[in-house]
Amino acid sequence: MKILIIEDEQGLRDNIVSYLNEDGNICESCNDLAGAISKLASYTYDCVLLDIGLPDGEGFAVLNFLKKQMKDELVLIISARNSLDDKVKGLNTGADDYLTKPFHLAELKARVEAIFRRKAANSNNRLIFNEIVIDLLGRGVEINNEPIILTRKEYDMLLYFIANKGKVISKNAIAEHLWGDEMDMHDNFDFIYTHIKNLRKKLLDASANDYLKSVYGIGYKFSAV
Amino acid sequence: MKLSAHYNKASIIVSVIVLLVGAVIYFFAINFIAQNQLDRDLDEEIEELFEYINTNHQLPKADFNGDQTTFLKVNHGINTRFFDALYQNPREQKSENGRAAEGSVVLNGVTYKFTIVISRESTEYLIQIIAIITLVLMACLVLILFLTNRYVLNGLWQPFYRLLNQLKDFNVSENSEHQLLTTRVDEFNELDQAIEIMSLRVKDDFQNLKAFTENASHEMMTPLAVITSKLDTLIQDETLKPEQFEQINDIYGATSKLSRLNHSLLLLVKIENNLIDDTEVIDLTKLLRDKLRQFQELTQTKELNVIANLISRKVIVSKYLVDILFNNLISNAIRHNNNKGVLIVTLFEDVLLIQNTGSPNALNAERIFDRFQKGKKSEGTGLGLTIVKNICKMYGWEVAYSYHESMHTFEIVFEPSTVL
Repeated sequence: MKILIIEDEQGLRDNIVSYLNEDGNICESCNDLAGAISKLASYTYDCVLLDIGLPDGEGFAVLNFLKKQMKDELVLIISARNSLDDKVKGLNTGADDYLTKPFHLAELKARVEAIFRRKAANSNNRLIFNEIVIDLLGRGVEINNEPIILTRKEYDMLLYFIANKGKVISKNAIAEHLWGDEMDMHDNFDFIYTHIKNLRKKLLDASANDYLKSVYGIGYKFSAV
Repeated sequence: MKLSAHYNKASIIVSVIVLLVGAVIYFFAINFIAQNQLDRDLDEEIEELFEYINTNHQLPKADFNGDQTTFLKVNHGINTRFFDALYQNPREQKSENGRAAEGSVVLNGVTYKFTIVISRESTEYLIQIIAIITLVLMACLVLILFLTNRYVLNGLWQPFYRLLNQLKDFNVSENSEHQLLTTRVDEFNELDQAIEIMSLRVKDDFQNLKAFTENASHEMMTPLAVITSKLDTLIQDETLKPEQFEQINDIYGATSKLSRLNHSLLLLVKIENNLIDDTEVIDLTKLLRDKLRQFQELTQTKELNVIANLISRKVIVSKYLVDILFNNLISNAIRHNNNKGVLIVTLFEDVLLIQNTGSPNALNAERIFDRFQKGKKSEGTGLGLTIVKNICKMYGWEVAYSYHESMHTFEIVFEPSTVL
């Protein structure tokens, strides 16, 4: 995937680039509206990460530019503003998703892959990771061609892990992904442990490899190695 | 009562009183003038009588000049005086009010008392005519006054009512322009201008506040986003020691708490300034069931006995806010519950009860909704119940806490106008 990151905060921009710059992704970045427009005018990207509050104007201008140029880049808005107005305005102007700061990089990656899959859903609605095959439309999972039954949370978790394969994901990030950041339940990570235990058991019972590794004290890692 | 009605009432009462008093004074004055006139007539009659007696040296006939004159022999002379008397109308054979004069006259050494009576009919007729004219005038005046007040004054006050309607429809978050009045009344023009200036200032302040909350949010959230992303990158380094991971975990926890606190504060500002106005019809029953399902993992872990008695009820509120409201109340009821405790959610006609077991002591019902009031063991931000209270206040709902028979109870009474 070729991704353009439009974000004026350098610390954040660099981390997003380094997090996404794997699995064959190509990331480019710029820090203002003018730069973004000139890049978008010259090149084509698969996905654009767009910060709304830029030093030289509002990111909505990028959405309008894409619309006017009839370009079909996927746009994920990342904004510190969580006002409903901005969310609605962004989504109505043609953005595909909206992520409020602060977010976990794992969440960002999962969202980018999700909107990318949604767009490509017609041609390819199966996500394949080694022996695990996920039917994205039917929300079904097969391992070694044998269907297994996952709960909604286990399914969401599996998708989340595959989107962030090879990365260490903190328990906070998993909790926020599964329950949303308004649940205010972060003082208790026991549920995550239970869900992970169940998911892992189901995968192992279906004779999949053990991809889930616990990283002591901090979280989990889903990796093929 | 409307201002014009007040004015109408006052002006009519005052005019009627003034007219009545005036009419009484008027009546007596005319009466007095008429009487004077009669007395002067009688004076003339007496003079004529004397003249007649001096000329003719005899008493005149009884009807002297058509007036009723009587003579009576008396022993001594009396002073001339005027008084009211009955007048016998010879043509109609009935007595009328009259005016009389009596005095004495000496003829051939004999003293006679004479009495002259004249009719008051003509003056009374005059007074009646005048009274009728006055009454008719009075009635006309009052009627005209009433009509004038009612229609002309109402017309005068129209700009005021238009202004009033504009004020009622005024909404700070809307961009509608203030429509200037076209009126010749200076006071209304001034009022209109004052209101325009005020509304512009209010809208300006509102926009500034809105911009401030958004900018503040941006400025605070961005560093938090940087911290989170740095941590997410940092933990990819698996050469870190477990102790370092633990510290990172603590930083994660603090960061997420900070961001929740920030969210809560901004949400409070938004609620307090009515910045959230996306009301829609919400099925409370469905929403509560969804919430309980959403919290199922928590209730199952704590092995809570969840009892939901919900009747069908719909309200008109913001989905976003009512969602937060239930999140806060139910998550509190779960978090502060005992293991194997009870959680009861009851929805009546216009009351919602959320009851839970928990600590055996009642909480301070007065301070519980204050900002940053939280239990010693609570991991929350201390703003949850303040947000609950403010959301309720925004919709005119009553929220109260009570502790009874080992149940902590939060009761919300819905404002009827928000319930469908």
